[in-house]
Amino acid sequence: VNLKDDRSSSLRRKLRRVILGTTLVALFVALGSMIAYDVRLYHRTWTADMATQAELLARTCVPALLFDDPGVARENLALLRLRPNVLSAAIYGPRGATFASYSRDPGDTPVPPLPGADGIHVVGSFVEVNHRIVEDGAILGTFYLRARHGLGDRILQHLLIASFLAVLGMVVAYVYSERLQRSVSQPILEVARVAREIAETADYSRRAPRLSDDEVGLLGESFNGLLAEVEARSHALAETNAELAREMSVKAEAQREILRLNSELEERVRDRTAQLTSAMQELETFCYSVSHDLRAPLRGIHGFSQALVADFPRDLPDEAHRYLSRITASATRMEQLIEDLLNLSKLTRATLTRREVDLSDLAGRVVENLRTTDPDRRVEVLIREGMKVDADPRLLQTAIENLLGNAWKFTAKTELPRIEVGCMRDGARTVHFVRDNGAGFDMQYADKLFGAFQRLHRQDEFPGTGIGLATVARVVHRHGGRIWADGQIGAGAAFYFTLAEPVAGATDAPETTNGEA
Amino acid sequence: MPEKVILLVEDNPDDEELTLRALRSSKVANEVVVARDGQEAIDYLFGPPGGLLGEEREPPALVLLDLKLPKLTGIEVLRRIRAEPRMRLTPVVVMTSSNEEEDVLNSYESGANSYVRKPVQFGAFVNAVSQLGVYWLLLNESPKQPR
Repeated sequence: VNLKDDRSSSLRRKLRRVILGTTLVALFVALGSMIAYDVRLYHRTWTADMATQAELLARTCVPALLFDDPGVARENLALLRLRPNVLSAAIYGPRGATFASYSRDPGDTPVPPLPGADGIHVVGSFVEVNHRIVEDGAILGTFYLRARHGLGDRILQHLLIASFLAVLGMVVAYVYSERLQRSVSQPILEVARVAREIAETADYSRRAPRLSDDEVGLLGESFNGLLAEVEARSHALAETNAELAREMSVKAEAQREILRLNSELEERVRDRTAQLTSAMQELETFCYSVSHDLRAPLRGIHGFSQALVADFPRDLPDEAHRYLSRITASATRMEQLIEDLLNLSKLTRATLTRREVDLSDLAGRVVENLRTTDPDRRVEVLIREGMKVDADPRLLQTAIENLLGNAWKFTAKTELPRIEVGCMRDGARTVHFVRDNGAGFDMQYADKLFGAFQRLHRQDEFPGTGIGLATVARVVHRHGGRIWADGQIGAGAAFYFTLAEPVAGATDAPETTNGEA
Repeated sequence: MPEKVILLVEDNPDDEELTLRALRSSKVANEVVVARDGQEAIDYLFGPPGGLLGEEREPPALVLLDLKLPKLTGIEVLRRIRAEPRMRLTPVVVMTSSNEEEDVLNSYESGANSYVRKPVQFGAFVNAVSQLGVYWLLLNESPKQPR
């Protein structure tokens, strides 16, 4: 704040200095030239006066010289007492001898013993006049006069007056400058004050008052124009800021909304997980119940039918025997259905542990089993060598058993049965297949192939529960793979499957069927 | 010396009759006592609850135990039997419809000597029961007296 005061007061001081300096110079010049003129005039007047004085007295003393009367001359000289400036005077004879002399103050300054050259001489603060006294062309003598020069006193006097006038002038100039500088500096200071206040309060709506119509007024006007511009800009800026703040708050709101939705989603996932867990538990209970409770009545049906046959072999007509055998067959079949269903559900529940499995080897062993169980069949089996897959060995075995079992079964009525197990590349993934030249199927029903209990053949043609392909599909899906089929009635069937998620970017295989089991 | 009894713990009357029939046809001579739930089995083996213990009943020669039983489950019955020093070594065969891995494991951990799944087909069922009878009552040598 002090700095600002210094600066604002320095403006006043500068103005004052300029005014006072100018005044001083003007006074100097004016008074100096007046004094110089006066001194010059005085000098001239005074020396002329002295010369006149000397001539007058010289003339007065001519008779005294002519009559050689020094007393008269002395009286004449004594008249100089009326002129206090004249210190001494003398009259010399024609040969230079002192004829008469006068001293204002005896013993002060003795007159020189001989007259000097004719004329007026200024020596220091004294003036000496030597005037030849001439009468009728003859030099009668010389008049000598020595007087104190009054110039110094006069100059002193002038200086005193000039000093007084200068001081007076300066005082007047000072008072006047106070008023003048206010009229000049006030508008500027006013503008400065407004600028300072704006800097402090950032209130751009203030305006500098217009105190004059001169350049300062123009300056204030420009300043106000600038302020208006700044105000408009800062207003626009504030609006932009408010807009930004609004956007930010909208964004924050959206963010909160996202968080809320996320937590909702998490909650939903938890709910679903809980529901799923409880559904799984229900499934477990159901399976247990199926495996235990449904089998018991079957055992009763089967057991008592047999008991009937065993205990009353003769009492029953043939028809009854036939019915009883149908009853036991049904019970057996139902047991098989329950068994398959349970195995399917176990597949779903079993944990998946992948490791490298030699598919060729696995298929070979399954075929060996089939040959052992059914030694009368002659089937040509082609298995591609060295097929390695990353899969759960137990689940994969179940799938391959079912696929090869199907192929084995459905080629029973083919003349030259042939089963092929192989693989092919499809982009980045490997597709395995089991192909046969058996009964085949109608592609129209392809979507029903993989459903549980779905059968495309009559029981008396090819027996089965309709669980096999559902089981295979379940195994493939649990591995993240796909299964689809291709077939033609009487020409055979082919089952294709993958055992891993297709790699991104890989071309999709023609999808026909992967019905949910 | 009278033959020791076989204790059949079975709640399903059909299964009970079929089992008895199978035992008969396999020429097992021992008397068969049937308990129709877990509590009955315990009552037979340990005397009725709160009742004075009379002469201690001789442990059965073989216990055929179903798992899914009213009141006390087969596993609970099995644990009670194994907790009793007298019957620590009595052969217990779990005969049930279930082939759940958990049931098999639980049974053996609780001290079952054998676990047999009852086949649905009667021929297989008779075969299984008679094999059990032959094995546990004739072939298998049990310690005469528990230490």
